[in-house]
Order: sequence, then C-alpha cells, then structure tokens
Amino acid sequence: MPRAFRTAAGITGLGLLLIVMAAAIFGPFLAPYDPQVFHPTNRLEGPSAAHWLGTDQFGRDLLSRILNGAPSTIFFGLGATLFGVGAGSVIGVIAGTAGGWIDSIIMRILDGLLAVPELLFTLLIVTFLGGGMGQAMLAVAVAFTPGMARIARSSVLSIRTREYVLAAVARGEPSRYIILREVLPNAISPIIVESTIRVAFAIMIGATLGFLGLGAQPPSTEWGLMVAEARQFMFRNAWTVAVPGIAIAMAAMGFNLFGDALRDSLDPKRNE
Amino acid sequence: MSTESPVLEISGYSLTYNTPSGPLRALKNVNLSVARGQTHGLVGESGSGKSSLAWAILRYLPDNAIENDGKLLLSGESIRDRTPSQIIEVRGQRISMVFQDPSTSLNPAMRLGEQLSEVMIRHRGLTPREATEASEQALERTGITKPKEMLERYPHQASGGEKQRVVIATAFACNPELIIFDEPTTALDIITAQQILDLFNQLQDETSISALYISHDLGLVSRLADTVSVLKAGEVVESGLRTDIFMSPRDDYTKKLLSAVPDPKHWLGVNAPAPELPILMSAENITVEYGRQSVIGRLFAPKPTHIGAHEVSLTVRKGELVGIVGESGSGKSTMAKVLSGLQEFHGVIQFGDSHFSKLDDIDLPYRRAVQIVFQHPDASLNPRQRIGEILSRPLKLYNITPKEQQTKRIIELLEMVSLPRDYINRFPHQLSGGEKQRVAIARAFAAKPEVVICDEITSSLDVSVQASIANLLVALQDQTGTACLFITHDLNLVRQLAHRICVMQHGKLIDTFQPCDAEKPNRNPYTRALLEAVPPPAGQFNMEPIT
Repeated sequence: MPRAFRTAAGITGLGLLLIVMAAAIFGPFLAPYDPQVFHPTNRLEGPSAAHWLGTDQFGRDLLSRILNGAPSTIFFGLGATLFGVGAGSVIGVIAGTAGGWIDSIIMRILDGLLAVPELLFTLLIVTFLGGGMGQAMLAVAVAFTPGMARIARSSVLSIRTREYVLAAVARGEPSRYIILREVLPNAISPIIVESTIRVAFAIMIGATLGFLGLGAQPPSTEWGLMVAEARQFMFRNAWTVAVPGIAIAMAAMGFNLFGDALRDSLDPKRNE
Repeated sequence: MSTESPVLEISGYSLTYNTPSGPLRALKNVNLSVARGQTHGLVGESGSGKSSLAWAILRYLPDNAIENDGKLLLSGESIRDRTPSQIIEVRGQRISMVFQDPSTSLNPAMRLGEQLSEVMIRHRGLTPREATEASEQALERTGITKPKEMLERYPHQASGGEKQRVVIATAFACNPELIIFDEPTTALDIITAQQILDLFNQLQDETSISALYISHDLGLVSRLADTVSVLKAGEVVESGLRTDIFMSPRDDYTKKLLSAVPDPKHWLGVNAPAPELPILMSAENITVEYGRQSVIGRLFAPKPTHIGAHEVSLTVRKGELVGIVGESGSGKSTMAKVLSGLQEFHGVIQFGDSHFSKLDDIDLPYRRAVQIVFQHPDASLNPRQRIGEILSRPLKLYNITPKEQQTKRIIELLEMVSLPRDYINRFPHQLSGGEKQRVAIARAFAAKPEVVICDEITSSLDVSVQASIANLLVALQDQTGTACLFITHDLNLVRQLAHRICVMQHGKLIDTFQPCDAEKPNRNPYTRALLEAVPPPAGQFNMEPIT
C-alpha cells in the first residue's frame, strides 16, 4: 500500500470507503427485510434483536432501508462527479492549451457561473427540470463543471511551460501528441484528487436535494429523503434521523479522507 | 594564525536522518575547526552534507535527525545541550548565517530597513531610531551607494547583488563570533558575485570576523579561505591550509575535484573545422520583443515592452562549436529559444537553403536538424515516461529507424552516452542529475541533427559531473561531426571547448573572439570584466596570503 495511505487518516478513509462501497454494491441483497414492507406493531422502535437499527414511522426496518438506499446515494454522488469532472476537464484543457482569446472567453463565462453558490445553482436547475434523481444528477454535474474546469486549466497551464513540453514543441511534435501524452498524464493528478473530494460534496448535495424534496421522491430509500421524512419523528425515535445521517457522514468522510491520502500519494515530491 | 581556542570546534560529530526508506547517514565523524579571525572553506558536492552541517551548528534540525555524542563547541562552550530559548540567544548574536538565494531569504513583505533593524533591536537592545541609524551605517559599510533609500525599499525593488549585501549587513550587524556563509554567490551573476567576494574580503580585513564558507566551487574558495576541508558523502576526506589543499592535494577525491575545475589552458574540444566549410546556419538581425500587448491594452494601460534580443547576428559552420556567454538577462537563452523554434522573433534565420522570417515558417526538417538540450535535467524529461519511450520519440517522429530496429537503436544511444542498457525501463526520477542530462543529450543526438543547441546544460550540475558532460559532448561532436551552440555563463569552460566565443550583454552581441585571443587588448571592456571576474582555474591559484 503506498506510504501515504498508511497514516491514520488514510486507513480510516480507506476503511470507511470500503464499507460504503460494499454497501452500495451488495446492499440490496444483504438487506434482511424488504425495505418497503411495514411492520406496524414495531413502529418507531430503537435497535432490537429483530431490527438491528430500529424501525421508522411506518415500521420499515431501518437497516434494510439504509442498505437499499446505498446504491442510489453513492452512485448518485459518483455519477454526478464523473459527469462534472469529465465536462469540466475537457473545457479546462481546451482553455489551457488554446490560450489567447478563447481562453479569456471561456474563463470569463466560468467566472460568472462560479459566482453562484453551488447549492443554489443546483436548485435553479432542478426547478427548471423538475424533481427526480436523474435531473438532480445532471444539476449537480453542471454545478461542478466551472470549478473543475478552473482546476484542470490551472494544472494544464503549469505543465505547459515545463521544459519537457518545450522539448516536444521544439521537436515538432503534433499538438495532439503534446496534449495527450506530454501534458495530460502530468496534469491529471490534481484533477483526480479533486474529484474524490467532490464525490463527498455531491453525496451531500444529493442528500440536501432529497431533503428538500427535489431529488429522490418517496418511497425511495435515498438517504437524504430518509432524513427529511424522519424529521418530524426526531424526538420520538432519534434513530430514524441518526441512522441515515450517520450513513451520509460516513460516506462523505470516507471519500474526503481517501482523497487526501490519494493526493499525498500522487505528489511526486513525496515519492522516491 | 592565532593560538587562541578556535571559535568553532566540531569533533567526532555524526548525523543520521531517519527516512521512511531507512536511516540516511548525512555526516560521519566530522572534525572541523575554525580559528578565530580566519575563514574556513568547506567544499563538497551536492548531497555531501554541507548544508546539514550548517543547520546542525545552528541547532535547527528536523525531528527525524539523530545525532551522536560528538562535540559542537562555540568558543569553547558546548552549544549542544541548550534549551530552545537559549539557542535563540545564540542565533543572530553569536552565530549568524548568510544564505544562498537572497530573494528567498528576505521577507518580501517587509522593507529592507525593517529586516535589518529587527536583528539589532532583538539582540543589541537598540531603540528603533538607533537601530535605523545603525542599519544605515551597516549598509554603507557593505558598499550600497544610497543607504537611506535602500532602507525604504522592498526586496523586489533591489537587485540580487544589493539584496545579498543587505543580508550580509544583517549577518554582520551584531558582531557575531562566527558567520556561516552557505553558497552566497551561487545565485548571483559572475560580476556581482565577484563584487560580493571582494566585499567579503574587505569586511573580513576590517572586522577580523571568523567565517565558515560553504561552497561547491573550488576556485571561489581558493580566493577567500585560509583553511579548507573537503567533504565527501558526509566525511571530511581532507583538511588543511589553503596552499596545501590546492597545490599538493593528498586525497584522490580532492585531486578529482581539482582536476574537474575547467582550465582554459587545457583544450578539450575537437579540432577547428576548416575555414572553407560552408556556413550551416546563420541568424541575421534577430530581434525579440517581450510583452507586446493587444491594441486595447496599449490604449488603456500601455506597458513598456522588454527587448530580449536586439539585432543579434551569428553564424554556425559545420562541425563548429560556438560558445555564447553572458550574464542572466543578456539574451542568450532567448537566442536559444529563437533558434530552436520556440520563440517569436523578427529577423531571418537561414538554414542551408531555407529562409525563415517568423516562428510559423519553421518546418519539421529544420526542427529535426536543430535540436536543443535544456538546463534543468529534472524538468527536461517527462516524469511519466520511461527512458526507452523518451528516446524513441525522435526515432518515431522523424522516421529514422523502422519499428523493429528501434530498441536496438535506443540501446546504441544509451551506450553512446555511457549509460547501462537496463536504464531503458527506468523512470527519470530513478536517475541522477548527470544521468538525466545524458539522456537529454542522447535524445537530441537521436534525431541525427546538424546543430545541437546546449542551453546551460552544465550549470545545474556538480563540478565533477560538469566535466564528464562536457567531455561527452565533445566526444559526440567528434563522432558525428555535429555543430554545437554552447550557451553558458562559465567562461573557463567555454574557453576549453569553443572554436569561437560570442559575448552578449543586455540583448546585444557585443564581442566575438577565438579562445586564443581572449587576453588580447582589443577585447570589449565588458568581456575583460567578465574574464577578470571568473574564478581562476586549478593550478593557477593566487597563493599569496589573503589577510
């Protein structure tokens, strides 16, 4: 395991991430009960032998609901980030390598978009498109694009003036080779690191949208929606709110710590 | 030589760093002493441990540094077992340090006067007003012409030489017992460096301060040290009086270092090409202007443009090695970039039958025939590509060898630059600086060029590695008959290699001469100043006593 992951933060991040990804992939198959089935006699109970994490207001098993909702939450975060990173990187690389007025125009547009807070931006888009997971994912991806484009552009700009790129230009290499083989492989590590951190944000924004009723719709088991629905029952059974809340926190923290450790391991100055 | 106790005495001192890849022995059983009023030169290449020793004396070591029980005595007292607050009293007041790069050792957000007064207020207990007056006097002593104005300036408003004088004034300010100089002239131009050296000698005469002068440059150390120690991989291999070390070295490593110092009397280059050989490449009236703005920019906020090169004309014949020397900012790297097709220019480049009057005209055949090797070996190789791939690029791009024979050709190239063939699968970070530079040279020669431009290729390397790279270049030139444009600031080195030397200053080509004519009276005064400023090569050291 690369040295950067052997720190306390790295191991924690990796551990949390493994748990969360395992839940996302195998969760629905591991759920002990059907997440939508009511157990009316056991409503709003705390953890017990029958229901390990308790039940919600309809008597649905919380553990099953969490495991069932893991894929939609996690893959929402991953999908939104992937689209945002993909689009943003392409725009950033174009701006960074083109330079001149193309670069200026792109950057001014991005500056304008960045002035809007990300959450507000997603709300705006979702209001246009209507609620639903797909629309929410698109909204988050669009909100992430300007930030990622800036990072990609600055990374490309710093690599462009390195002497090995100049050597390639002096040799007369075609621009496509220079961008794909000389610049991109060296510019990609900040982009990768930023993406892992943004997955955490995407999960949280998705949860917020679910909370506001603009993302997943009931009876979906998406974690943010679970928190929203359980709000009114918070004082009768805190577990209904705590369980999905802690799950969201674990996912966000896992991706964050993993991203930090990944950044340290990709940093060439720390490797021999 | 005084018979008092030495101002600094190090005996049996060892330092080891605990790194994740195992313990790294930085210093092994070092014995060193600096007598009062004397300058002790510490010579060693990069990685020898000289900076570690300086930090150990100042007691500023990282957490993973493990010391043994060797002694560190300052004027007879041990400074090893002091608490951090006691050490703060020692630093600045009893030992001070002058660092290598004045632009990073001065706080860019504070005025120079404040930084100088800081030391005096802290250690001599002066009031701010007294400190300002004392700062002005200190600056005057270091030769700054308008000290009052200099106190008000910020570091970015002063030149490298002026900043280093301020740093030296700061070091001298509290009359410390010992000043440690860590390569103070490496980041400066030749002429400025010589002025700083003269200043150092003058201040030493006036104040009889004791100094530990750390450097990798033997020629430099021979002009100011009384006693010298040579450090190799953490061990002091030889130590003694200046005259002994330079005139009769005992250790093999010392002899190797001395022989690697460039000596203009020792010709290394290939034979001069016959004068009837055709001119291969000629640049006519090349002018480069930096900072041209768009029309709107010029309307609203006009900024003056900077002329990188002004009507420079030079020619290169087949098989010739032309040297270009000058200080930083003289335009030599600009010319390198223009001739290798990386910079916009006005003027004409003529190569064989082709004419190029702007950057976009330059075509692939020209780029193949004119190759460039850059200064920093760490930056000139793509860190994510293996050596084999790096060397295969020119072969693929210019269709020099068919695919099946590429690996064979790459191995031939590696052998040409004396590198083992299993380097083909290594990444650049697994090679040393000298080895990386060899790969860069191999890459340039892989294209079978007619001219190779070497932009300060030895400046970032140690003395002994410089010599081997220079020899390699000459051997390759001999083998292939390629012409070479060798850009450097090291006059001694270029006099060993070049058939013709061009001198540039402020973007203009002001002098051209052959090495044998270097001392002739019709040289431009700037050329003469450069020649005088360069440290004398080994064997020609001025052996008269300094103080």
